[in-house]
Amino acid sequence: MMFEAPIQRLIDELARLPGIGRKSAQRLAFHILHVEEEDARRLAESILSMRSEVRLCDRCFNVTDSEECSICRDLRRDPSTMCVVERPQDIVVVEKTQEFRGRYHVLGGSISPIEGIGPDQLRMRELVARIEDEQVSEVIVATNPTVEGDTTALYLARLLKPLGVRVTRLASGLPVGGDLDYADELTLGRALVGRREM
Amino acid sequence: MELGWIELSGYRCYPEIRVEPAPGVNVFVGDNGSGKTSLLEAIGYLSSLRSFRGAPDAALVRTGDEAALVRGEFVAGERSLRVEVEIPVEGRRRVLVNGKRPSSRAEVVSAVPLVAFLPDDLDLVKRGPSQRRDYLDDLAAGLWPSAGAERTDYERALRQRNTLLRKEGRRADRATLDVWDDRLSHLGAMVIRRRLELLERLEPRLSALYAELGERPEVFTTRYEGAPLGPLSLSDVPGLRERLLDALGAARGADLERRVTTVGPHRDEVVAIIGDRDLRTRASQGEQRTVALGLRVAAYEMLREEKGATPVLVLDDVFSELDPGRSRRLVEKLPGGQVFVSTAREEEVPLVGTRWSVAGGRVTVREGE
Ligand SMILES: [Zn+2]
Repeated sequence: MMFEAPIQRLIDELARLPGIGRKSAQRLAFHILHVEEEDARRLAESILSMRSEVRLCDRCFNVTDSEECSICRDLRRDPSTMCVVERPQDIVVVEKTQEFRGRYHVLGGSISPIEGIGPDQLRMRELVARIEDEQVSEVIVATNPTVEGDTTALYLARLLKPLGVRVTRLASGLPVGGDLDYADELTLGRALVGRREM
Repeated sequence: MELGWIELSGYRCYPEIRVEPAPGVNVFVGDNGSGKTSLLEAIGYLSSLRSFRGAPDAALVRTGDEAALVRGEFVAGERSLRVEVEIPVEGRRRVLVNGKRPSSRAEVVSAVPLVAFLPDDLDLVKRGPSQRRDYLDDLAAGLWPSAGAERTDYERALRQRNTLLRKEGRRADRATLDVWDDRLSHLGAMVIRRRLELLERLEPRLSALYAELGERPEVFTTRYEGAPLGPLSLSDVPGLRERLLDALGAARGADLERRVTTVGPHRDEVVAIIGDRDLRTRASQGEQRTVALGLRVAAYEMLREEKGATPVLVLDDVFSELDPGRSRRLVEKLPGGQVFVSTAREEEVPLVGTRWSVAGGRVTVREGE
């Protein structure tokens, strides 16, 4: 079923968001149609300002509102250990455990030919450069415990070991096939403490 | 374990129904195309999150609807398990178990033991190896949650490697292929180990069942043929991973050329042998039928013993294919528990229980029963 053009346009845009089907998109569009104009404006503006104000950290590719993120700027953090994650939101999860005091590197995904992602599409060259520049001695690979995350971890181990760094992987205990952000803090904290050599 | 109730909306021919089956035998009677098999399929879906007819998810959604909803509750003593699945025409399905997202499909599959006898079960014995591989992998997933996870991961890694080969061919990055080979051999060895463990348990069971289901006593054995490793048994498991990795390495050139993975458990064959005869090529149809039934009965028995709960039993139009003697002996081997039967000719069903009429998207209990 097609609606008036302005409504249909919003429905189409909303339906492109992850986890939103046609029905939910319709419900959201009609909800927005009926709220106060001020509320609708605030929603639209917060989307735009997030996009214009938030950028990726020049160093670790975390989300930030300046050139470097707050973690990279924090001098109390140990630069010799680096935790490699798939996405910026994984940093928040690891931070919550309060078990990690080093810095991060965001790959931007995991190796997945199905999605057209190979090593060249991930920030691996930048990682290698940082390990040399910042004198990193241990890399903790915290990719998701999925087939793709495990494969990426193995690729990283083979890539980084010749550089003379210690490469460890989070200990198991994470739900198999899950996402890092579904793991509870306690489990993830234990996985960090019990990480193993690759 | 018993199904207390099931609700379907937008599923196959059902706009909206709720059925509260009896704890014992339930016989669904209806003409061909009336929806009785679809109902059994939906019950099976709640246990395996898959259509036992091999239909893709989108095919389960009623024409014109955006999504199908299948909900039901299984009860075993004090424990109850509510499984709810929303299957959209497009996009990912959503599964809830007792209101929560399960961590994996494997968690659901091993939670609800269910065995389905299907009209084309003869294919288990007669057709190519994929039916036998699926039988073993499905049973392993029902028995052990980690086996289901290993198989899912193996299939995922295989799809990834095949996609890399198909898209890139000879240009495929060697270091990336190397890590996929490593994962594939690791996961593949686990899949093969489960199959070998199951075959070792199945052989004595099938030998006994073969006679109990009415054939002249003969010993049932199997031969597992690894591709391209040759005959494998449990004693080969240590070191299997390394051998698979070597085999993948040796096949690399051919794989790059053909753009597909030619080595591994997805290509393996399982040969069933009765006495000294290959069941596929040198046995009568009756003998093949008996072994096919035996494989399902064995699955039922193993699930019951391992899970400590009687599996839900689904018999989809099975009796029309069996002579009265085999029907009777089959029923004798399946004591207790909840049973779902579909039939177009109810006089063929040698079971006493609640009879339901299935017609026009409605399921109604017969008066006076
Ligand atoms: Zn940063």
